[in-house]
Amino acid sequence: MKVMILQGLSQAYDNLVHMIAIFVPRFAVMLIIVVVGWLVALVLRYVFRAILHVSRLDRISEEAGASQVLRKAALPSISELLSRALFWVVWLGFMVLGVSVLGIPELHEQIARVFQLLPQIFIAILILFFGVLASNFLSRAALLASVNAGHRSPRVWSASIRFVILILAFSMALEQIGLANQTVISAFSIVFGTAMLALAIAFGLGGRHLARHALEQYFGSRKTEPDKGEEPSPL
Amino acid sequence: MAEEILLADDFVRQLMSVGEVDILVGIPSFNNAATIGRTVLAVEQSFQQGFARQRVALVNADGGSEDGTREVVMSTRADKSSTVGGRGLTSLRTEQRVVTQYGNEPSAGLALRTILAAADLLRAKACAVISPATSNLTTAWITNLLEPIYRDNFDFVAPLYNRHKYDGLLARNLLYPMSRSVFGHGIRELHPSELGFSGRLASHCLGQNVWHQEDIQDAPEIWMALTAISSDFRCCQAFLGTKERAAAGTGPDIVTAVRQNVGSLFWCLDTQENYWLQRAQPEALRSFGPESDLTCEPMNLNRQRIYELFRSGVQDLGPILQSILAAETMGEIQRVAAQDEEKCRFSGELWARTLFEFAASHRHAVLNRDHMIQALVPLYRGRIYSFLVEHQDSTAKEMEADTENLCVEFEKQRPYLVERWKA
Repeated sequence: MKVMILQGLSQAYDNLVHMIAIFVPRFAVMLIIVVVGWLVALVLRYVFRAILHVSRLDRISEEAGASQVLRKAALPSISELLSRALFWVVWLGFMVLGVSVLGIPELHEQIARVFQLLPQIFIAILILFFGVLASNFLSRAALLASVNAGHRSPRVWSASIRFVILILAFSMALEQIGLANQTVISAFSIVFGTAMLALAIAFGLGGRHLARHALEQYFGSRKTEPDKGEEPSPL
Repeated sequence: MAEEILLADDFVRQLMSVGEVDILVGIPSFNNAATIGRTVLAVEQSFQQGFARQRVALVNADGGSEDGTREVVMSTRADKSSTVGGRGLTSLRTEQRVVTQYGNEPSAGLALRTILAAADLLRAKACAVISPATSNLTTAWITNLLEPIYRDNFDFVAPLYNRHKYDGLLARNLLYPMSRSVFGHGIRELHPSELGFSGRLASHCLGQNVWHQEDIQDAPEIWMALTAISSDFRCCQAFLGTKERAAAGTGPDIVTAVRQNVGSLFWCLDTQENYWLQRAQPEALRSFGPESDLTCEPMNLNRQRIYELFRSGVQDLGPILQSILAAETMGEIQRVAAQDEEKCRFSGELWARTLFEFAASHRHAVLNRDHMIQALVPLYRGRIYSFLVEHQDSTAKEMEADTENLCVEFEKQRPYLVERWKA
């Protein structure tokens, strides 16, 4: 009995030593891969940032209004953001490589699963980003056009355009990562449909006099309003 | 040429058959069949009266007219049996006529480029561009544009017109004072429908790598005028006559005019900074004829609407204007916009500062550039409202003095533009 216990302990000790003997070099290799990966990612980040700087991406982003959005969200410039993203993607790639060297299948599977989702998350973030950009640009264009044309409630038009585009981008992003697909589509249809119906009713009730006036003027059955004068010729 | 220009084979063939010329008059057109015949006759008569011994050519650059404009140009001929101006003058040389279609839709940039290419290929000494829409064109207009170039060796001739005191307010309040203070030479009509230029300037402009730029497509004349100044060509102004008012609804609206003209001016500021940042002193521009000639008949203007658009514009565009203007300037504009209609005054000092801050923000692209220029429209309306109220009863002389004061204000604040520009 005593011999058996000793044999068991000895075997366990041998196994432990064997495992440590196998694990430590693998762990060392993993650490080396992670450190090398960090260095590679760092170099790539600086190179990528320099390329983006030369391509004047920040200026384009400034003109498109993207930088303003980023500033509001307390984020760095677009070139800094993209180069940081590249840094993390590369380093995470090296980390996964390092973990796979450890030879722990369960851990490897879990990380692989997260990594499978990464492209979708990345695309969803891109969709959101461009959605915010488009909503910003188009709502500003609508605001300027309606202010200069002297339309009433230009800010309402501008905000409506921003809202519709943001809702569209948000639902597309959620659909991309496969989060409650049916719910998102239904919610979007309900929100969008409600907004359109509300606008239609509001326009129908609030704008009926305007519509009648426009139609009467178009078909010439009513005299035009007396001339209140013109704007002076700019040229 | 820095940029290759694709001229139609037929156009090149026509130009080759013309050979070399001394004088060239270009007429850009698009569906101008109703009026272009009169323009062609005036050009022909000016050739006979003023340039009877010179080799002359008329070039029509058409933007795809569907009303027979090109045919009218080719078929219109002065009656040889009749005498011109009763003096019995006829040209000693054949007047050459070339018609080309540069595209299927009108483009001021392409039309001017086509005329410049023709001037370059024909080695013309003096050229003029005439608008077929000008209804009161006379032979004197064309002669006045061509003579300073042909006889006095000038390279660019901008027109001067007799106008109503409320016409051309964008030029009077923005283009003229700003270009004068920045570039040092004051051209009254920076975006003219008629202009004259030398063959040397035509070749120089044609060789610039700018013709693909959207910013100059609608108002290439602004770029050409400022290029002539910044490239040290000899510029002058010549009085032509009365500029007729465009019928209501036919001219460009305020938003379009501001986008085209201010967009081109700001773009020129950006691309020609090497010239104006180093400019030392302003120089007077020689003028042939009176520099300013205004008429003061009463006019039905809707001042209240202009004021309302200014006030609501400042209110609605607050966040956009804040990102373009300095906080102090923005605050001052908001104070002006908050005042009653009777007390609302957009001073020349504030206007100059506002424009310089817009120009600097445009250069630094703090927003989309077209959006920035659109955001200027309500402020321009504020300035115009103030101008109209101040000059309700002003005489031509008083208005001229006010324009001079505005130019001086712009000159005074020029260092501020330089400071913000370099920031």
